[in-house]
Amino acid sequence: MRTFIQALSLALFSLLFFFFANYKLPDWLPADIYLRLDPLLGLSAILSAREWIGRAAWSLILVGATLIVGRFFCGYVCPMGAVIDFLDPLLGRKKDRAGLKKETAWRKVKFFVLVLFLSSSLAGLTLAYLMDPLPLLTRFYTFFLYPLVVTVVNLFLDLLRPLARALGWMGLSYRHYTQPVFYMALITFLLFSGIIALNRVTPRFWCRYLCPLGAFLSLISPLGLFKRRVSPECNECLKCVKTCPMGAIEEDPKKTRLPECIQCRSCSRVCPQQAVSFPALPSTVRRRQLGGEYSRADLSRRGFLYSCAGGLTAAFLTDRTPFTPVRGKHQLVRPPGALPEDEFLRTCIRCGECMKSCVTNTLQPCFWESGLSGLWTPKMDLRFAACEQNCNVCGKVCPTQAIRDLSLEEKTHAKVGTAILLKERCLVWSQDKLCLICDEICPYNAIVFRTIEGYRRPVVIASKCNGCGFCETRCPVGGTSAIVVVPDGEIRLKEGSYIKEAQKLQLEFKADPGDDKFILESSGFKVGEKEPPAKPQRPAVPPEKAPGKKPAGFL
Amino acid sequence: MGKSEKSVTRREFLKTAGVGLAVGMAGRPDWLAAKEDYDLAVISGSPAAATKKALEAMGGISRFVKKGQRVVLKPNMSFANPPDRASTTHPAVVVTVARACLEAGAERVLVLDYPLRKGELCLERSGMLDAFQSLRGVHVLALEERKFFREIRVPQGKIFDRMEVMTEVLESHVLINIPQAKSHSATGVSLGLKGLMGVIWDRYSFHSKYDIDQAIADLATVIKPRLTILDATRALVSGGPGGPGKVVKPNLIIAGTDPVAVDSYAVSITPWYDQNFKGRQVKHLLAAHQRGLGKIDVEQLKILKEKA
Repeated sequence: MRTFIQALSLALFSLLFFFFANYKLPDWLPADIYLRLDPLLGLSAILSAREWIGRAAWSLILVGATLIVGRFFCGYVCPMGAVIDFLDPLLGRKKDRAGLKKETAWRKVKFFVLVLFLSSSLAGLTLAYLMDPLPLLTRFYTFFLYPLVVTVVNLFLDLLRPLARALGWMGLSYRHYTQPVFYMALITFLLFSGIIALNRVTPRFWCRYLCPLGAFLSLISPLGLFKRRVSPECNECLKCVKTCPMGAIEEDPKKTRLPECIQCRSCSRVCPQQAVSFPALPSTVRRRQLGGEYSRADLSRRGFLYSCAGGLTAAFLTDRTPFTPVRGKHQLVRPPGALPEDEFLRTCIRCGECMKSCVTNTLQPCFWESGLSGLWTPKMDLRFAACEQNCNVCGKVCPTQAIRDLSLEEKTHAKVGTAILLKERCLVWSQDKLCLICDEICPYNAIVFRTIEGYRRPVVIASKCNGCGFCETRCPVGGTSAIVVVPDGEIRLKEGSYIKEAQKLQLEFKADPGDDKFILESSGFKVGEKEPPAKPQRPAVPPEKAPGKKPAGFL
Repeated sequence: MGKSEKSVTRREFLKTAGVGLAVGMAGRPDWLAAKEDYDLAVISGSPAAATKKALEAMGGISRFVKKGQRVVLKPNMSFANPPDRASTTHPAVVVTVARACLEAGAERVLVLDYPLRKGELCLERSGMLDAFQSLRGVHVLALEERKFFREIRVPQGKIFDRMEVMTEVLESHVLINIPQAKSHSATGVSLGLKGLMGVIWDRYSFHSKYDIDQAIADLATVIKPRLTILDATRALVSGGPGGPGKVVKPNLIIAGTDPVAVDSYAVSITPWYDQNFKGRQVKHLLAAHQRGLGKIDVEQLKILKEKA
């Protein structure tokens, strides 16, 4: 039953990820629901941004449920837990696993991690994403699994193609999915594999010792209704002790480490005496009946202080680097609707949903570009791909609204930067060649041709450029594009309308056809011949004569 | 292209030739001037109705599509813009042609383009997918992978000796080009001939390396649509090819078998960039004409003008 619910939850997570987190996402569907439900993400983002985040309210559902039921999330809902459980058979027999010597001491680690993350958040540095299972798994899905799945599916389709063609199934014969690619794929993969490999030491190693979300939920679980109870029938066969995936049963099988119990009820299933049950008991009765350890976070005062100090030190170290003062002059082009850089870094939980959903694949994870505090944050790689003007999905799927959920019209006005021409690289400026690609591709008519010293040269009109980057992507110059988008002039608002802001700045992201008159002379029209010449310079090919196979001797 | 001619006996041939000769010498009476003799059909009206009428005026779809043939329709679906932006062919035009092909007994009808923007977005936002939802047996596809293209030789090429062309276009029996009338920053206008750049793989070299006008003429020597149905119900007369720009509404469908003639006529129906032009003034049209690929002077064309 539990496995079934786990599988269902993982399936839902995967379904939302693979099929709904894309530009077609309807407004009412929260494809990022798992991330929104995560109270640790919400809390740490709220603490570090010092702002209320609307979508974090969803996590109250999970908090409430945990208060009532107990720490059920880890055993039933958590997709990371499901992945760990389902991959467990790959790691060999449970018997052969060494386990940890100082078991109880290790259990405290997750609480230290939790305290460390929350204290660093208080100091303005988001770290929860490093180890919170939901962004961790979403990242793994985005940067590794998604590209892999597309590759495999395409391989399969290629194999199927001859058959599909023979049968005349046209849709299938031409089915192909664009291969997504991401930086940081290898690092993400290695981290994830490491977490899975840790379970070789002991089952659910991650959940037992490291997971900060598990720690958070276990802290709020003591009021939960369902608690393990062992009846006197128990013959101390210790089967339950060996089975418990969390190691939550002490040497005395009648006792339970309640904060560790994820209510999977494996113990009650394996018990030959049927002595284990999970009755719903009001807390007063429970205290009397269960006795022993009822709920206490295994966190010493010293440990608490050390981890607090650790979090603050981490925040200090990442903050006091040259990256911080130059943040205002940073080189990165952030997605449209991204909060101002400081708030953005504090709010973004690095889940990768925006990058998965991005229709053109331009959104890529940062490595070191803005320091440690910018790891995995989304940037636009506009040489690789441009930002599609008819898509606004990155904001829709952002669980903490580090990228704001904007209408298409608002998003168009959320200028991400300005294109600048590198004249020494430009074919037209430096080599007097005829090239119009940037002008032709620009969706906003922000590039025009002007006569400068007798030549027609491309010029960027900054007030019309919203930084979408089509020019940079398509520029035919090898290597660095001759026209690049820099964050200059970006509009980043915590709140309020981008349209109004753009109006205030006298920007206009629409076509003004009038500017195109410059195109004429360098375009395919022969402008010199506005009036048909009195004598056509050459008689046309006589229509009676069948067109010859050879070109008719011109030029 | 498949063989569909039936064999003719010598006697039949002589008889027909004799009659033909007699009629020819007598001067052709009007009633014999079948609709097939018109170079162009220019029909004004709403996209669907005008297209239908234009097909009839060109002698009916059965003149071009025979039973059991595989047909490729090549509209412009290059941008993720709605039809009123006039950067893509109006879906109703394409649907009308596709339906006619099916009625003529086409074995398969494919609507293909290699869009400039993300394919699935283009198909969706151009309204193409919606329009074809109810029409079974027609596949609307954006082909964006090199594996769907095949290299061919361009024997009469001045610039290219080889090009990679959509395999499906090469292997089908009939190609019908359904371009959108729009301006183009590099070639002046983008009509039928320019629109055919959507069936080849490496079009960027057209723009960056070569003389694009001659390159388009090269392309026209190897890719020859049986029929061109130009959608000028709306025309993007500046800011092309993607727009946004000035959109006018000539409300015309221009159909013909001569791709140069169709384009040349379309140049004359509206000012482009606020100036009047003739087909002869468009470099790539002139280049194609000079290579004997079609008539360019509108005055020499027999045009059927009607209202739908």
